[in-house]
Amino acid sequence: MEIVRISEPEDLAPEDQKFCEATKPWFRIDFVPKMGRVLLTVPEFGRPYWRASRRAMAEGALTRAQKELIATMVSAINVCEY
Amino acid sequence: MTHALNAVADGLRLPLEFSPSTRAPLLQLPEPAASSPELKAVFDDIASFYAMDRPPAVFRWMARDLGFLQGYWTATREAFTDRRLDRLMKEILALAASMTAKSDYGVDFHLREARRLGMSDQALTEAVEVVQLFNTVTKIADALRLEPDFSPRATDASQPA
Repeated sequence: MEIVRISEPEDLAPEDQKFCEATKPWFRIDFVPKMGRVLLTVPEFGRPYWRASRRAMAEGALTRAQKELIATMVSAINVCEY
Repeated sequence: MTHALNAVADGLRLPLEFSPSTRAPLLQLPEPAASSPELKAVFDDIASFYAMDRPPAVFRWMARDLGFLQGYWTATREAFTDRRLDRLMKEILALAASMTAKSDYGVDFHLREARRLGMSDQALTEAVEVVQLFNTVTKIADALRLEPDFSPRATDASQPA
């Protein structure tokens, strides 16, 4: 059971709602993941964090798929179901 | 596999392979020079696989039980063989696992292996960025007890509808 109330996209500032919309094509999904909404609860933290995240997960010397594999490995080692 | 090898290496305080280390092993490690022909064949295979003069300490300790070493080494070699993922990517994943688990032995070992197999500085930077990002969000997710957004099977094309 989650211990905080997770904002809906419409609860967020207009700038952050735009960001939330942009996450859908990024992940090819039709909803906004909870983590994005949680981080944007404190926009001064969430906005730069997500800019860094988007930059780090973009194609580079490693492909995005390879980076997602690394993320999966980190999640597995940390036993993080989310 | 990596997680288990790291647990043994750090647990037994095996010296780092490629960085200065003052760690003293908690048990005696068999020396390749003093090994039987059967053991020497396994040691040679391990050393060759990693392009080292002798097998890494984490495999030398296993030589106390040759049958166990033979089985575990064969499985390890298979796990790190080029298949859909190439050996370099597997070493990068092992490095990520080692960093996340805070394994000194594993970071030292897999960083050297990934570099030896061709990982560029840029690829290392990108891999470490991902490790850092996801060590952040996994902790946030756990602290807030976030329930998963995704069903893994929903995006697995290999699963029947």
